[in-house]
Amino acid sequence: MKYLFSLLIIVVAMNLSGCKDDDTSGGAIDNDLNAVILNDFSANVASPKYNDLQIQVSKLYTQVQALELNKTDVNLNAARQTWRDARKAWEQSEAHLFGPVATENIDPRIDTWPVNFADLDAQLASSNSFTETYIDNLEDALKGFHPVEYLLFGTDGSKTAANLTSRELEYLNGLTINLKKLTTDLNAFWDASNADSYYNAVVKAGNGSAIYASQRAALEELVSAMAGICDEVANGKITEPFINEDQTLEESPYAKSSIPDFTNNITGVQNVYLGKYTSEGKGLEDLVRKYNLSLDGEIKNKITVAITALNNVTEPFGQAIFTQKIQVQNAIDAINDLKDILENDLMEFVGVHAE
Amino acid sequence: MNSQKNILRFGFSIAILIVIYSCIQPEPLEEVNLNEWLSGGSQTIFEKGAGAFSSIFPNLSPSRQAVHDVGDAGVEATFVSAPAVIRPGLGPLFNNVSCTSCHVGDGRGKPPLAGEQISSLLFRLSIPGTDEHDGPNPVPGFGGQLQHRSIFGIAPEGTVDIQYTEQSFQFADGTSYSLRTPTYTIQNAYTVLPSNVMVSPRIAPPFVGLGLIEAIADEDILAFADENDINEDGISGKPNYVWDILKKKKVIGRFGWKANNPNLLQQSAGAYSEDMGITNFIFPRESSANQIQFDGRDDEYEVSDSILTSVAFYIRTLAVPARRSADEPIVLRGKQLFLDAKCGACHKPMQKTATNVAFPEISNQTIFPYTDLLLHDMGSALADNRPDFEATGREWRTSPLWGIGLTKVVNGHNNFLHDGRARTLLEAVLWHDGEAEQSKEYVRQLSKDDRDALVKFLESL
Repeated sequence: MKYLFSLLIIVVAMNLSGCKDDDTSGGAIDNDLNAVILNDFSANVASPKYNDLQIQVSKLYTQVQALELNKTDVNLNAARQTWRDARKAWEQSEAHLFGPVATENIDPRIDTWPVNFADLDAQLASSNSFTETYIDNLEDALKGFHPVEYLLFGTDGSKTAANLTSRELEYLNGLTINLKKLTTDLNAFWDASNADSYYNAVVKAGNGSAIYASQRAALEELVSAMAGICDEVANGKITEPFINEDQTLEESPYAKSSIPDFTNNITGVQNVYLGKYTSEGKGLEDLVRKYNLSLDGEIKNKITVAITALNNVTEPFGQAIFTQKIQVQNAIDAINDLKDILENDLMEFVGVHAE
Repeated sequence: MNSQKNILRFGFSIAILIVIYSCIQPEPLEEVNLNEWLSGGSQTIFEKGAGAFSSIFPNLSPSRQAVHDVGDAGVEATFVSAPAVIRPGLGPLFNNVSCTSCHVGDGRGKPPLAGEQISSLLFRLSIPGTDEHDGPNPVPGFGGQLQHRSIFGIAPEGTVDIQYTEQSFQFADGTSYSLRTPTYTIQNAYTVLPSNVMVSPRIAPPFVGLGLIEAIADEDILAFADENDINEDGISGKPNYVWDILKKKKVIGRFGWKANNPNLLQQSAGAYSEDMGITNFIFPRESSANQIQFDGRDDEYEVSDSILTSVAFYIRTLAVPARRSADEPIVLRGKQLFLDAKCGACHKPMQKTATNVAFPEISNQTIFPYTDLLLHDMGSALADNRPDFEATGREWRTSPLWGIGLTKVVNGHNNFLHDGRARTLLEAVLWHDGEAEQSKEYVRQLSKDDRDALVKFLESL
């Protein structure tokens, strides 16, 4: 008995001393690496992506002007391709939908859906002058990418340059100047050379940032945004039309670019994770690999599985919700799996390995 | 042998208890009420980024999460002009096209800068007198709110020109500061606006913890009221009593800048109706019903009962962010100054929610919203001079302060008060007057270090 009680006391004593330590002390923290990851997010992902968006939208405006002067199918198709390229940059940037894009009210002005078709038709039938100021003053459902899509592509895929009315071209002109202004503003908010830019708010997290009091807060922001877009794609953009069996709920129906949109959203997540867009950099990947190689493998695998599942939806999304239900459901499940590992495992990991 | 075993079992039980106790014993946190880290009681979350105001209660069952998610989609949904395949019914008169257009990130709106469109600020209107429920008296031809937008072919009610005048003041230590006073002028009114119209600007407030505020018992609000200042502290909080449409009686007001709304369902339904022109079972008539803009279309509800109640449920089940840095010495110093300045006399730190077996997630929680939910005279400079039920033109409801330090990261600005005129937390403090004059004076006498500490404390909320 005495022996047993001694054992008890020892056990208790060991535990007491063990508990003295802060539980998080087990998490090694590499502040220098975290600083590089945040720097590379701004420098290699967010800033070049918004820059690409601005470049593509400027090009789109130029091409719309060319189309006004010379209404050919070649010019129309060029504008359509640039719309797709601009959407690619935008959809990828939705994997980090925080900061000025939200707080400066830019997202709703460039990507509101649905379009207010009744008013759009009435605008076209009116004699209003579609100056940039006029377009800018309109409500959000009358401007941005989706009215441009509607006018460039038409509703049934058979629109040709000859079908474009002069009023449609005038409206397109106003819309694309407005888009150009807004994406230029957005890019400027991420200007590295401006000390007060969001670029530097992220880079200087925990070191004088007006927004992020710690590196941990900024890294958690990245993870939260990555998980957020997965949730939006899986449980909003795909699920709503799918469970309602209603193709009118599809967000980019005219360009038939919904599946590319969703895929670009997940590619955006991958970009943030790797810290890599057009050039190599350090990303969350490097932090995870340093301390938990298997978690890194799992995250990368889930990203690949999600993109593959989307690629397996081969019909345009509006048809696939009826004809490829298994593939659509698989995509929802794969993206939700990715969301779960990001918002649970990766978030917890960042909480331990950043401060 | 058996008794030895029992002794052993007992010994181990005690040992385990000691081990558990020693492990849950937190690090010493000097002079901080530990619970205060958890501003929203068990509905506290630890998100501190852009999504800090948008997190779901951490313990909702999957079926209730599903309702929350339906409401979330409802808050995001954009309405368009009828006829349309999806979400028709916008307007004819409106201020914005979706809930989230004003409540970005479920957070706080800001007034427009020069040349910017008004997006998250609106203007309530009335003329002297009251309606049949002692509420504001609507303006003929305009109703109770100025809608500055309209669907195509319909005249908006008017626009508002906002001008600011800067005025300089000094702290006791000689440091100067400047406050900007807004003036609002209604322009381009579609018809004659009566000369005695009263205008009250209201910025979109954050949704943080509103379900918990709704769950505070009436008695607890009333217990703190002191309308005739019997305790002679110069502060005389009084409840607002407002019309509850479904209950068909007056109840205590809790929501809105003047506590002019009784509950989250009616608040949400009113926003659908007035802000977006979306009819619903609580407000079945178009906001333009008595005006020339009315299109004759209010034969069916433009937002369904289920979406409306889901939206109210979404707002009701948004969690509260935990405090940050609550144990830092400068924050503790700031808290002491906050209490010494008697800010806590109205911004009451702690509340308890009532027991509610039907809604266990909000039942019986100790929460730290920093409000008494009562009306206070805030002085003439802040007065809108427009009564709203029992609230006079000088009275405003004490705003909750929880989450206020995250405004910058969620909404990208530090504009506060009912019309966003304050550009920093300190400016918001310095606008206080009326019943809060002594508190403001206290702050004006503080040293720079102490002022910084006070702000650090507010930022930790």
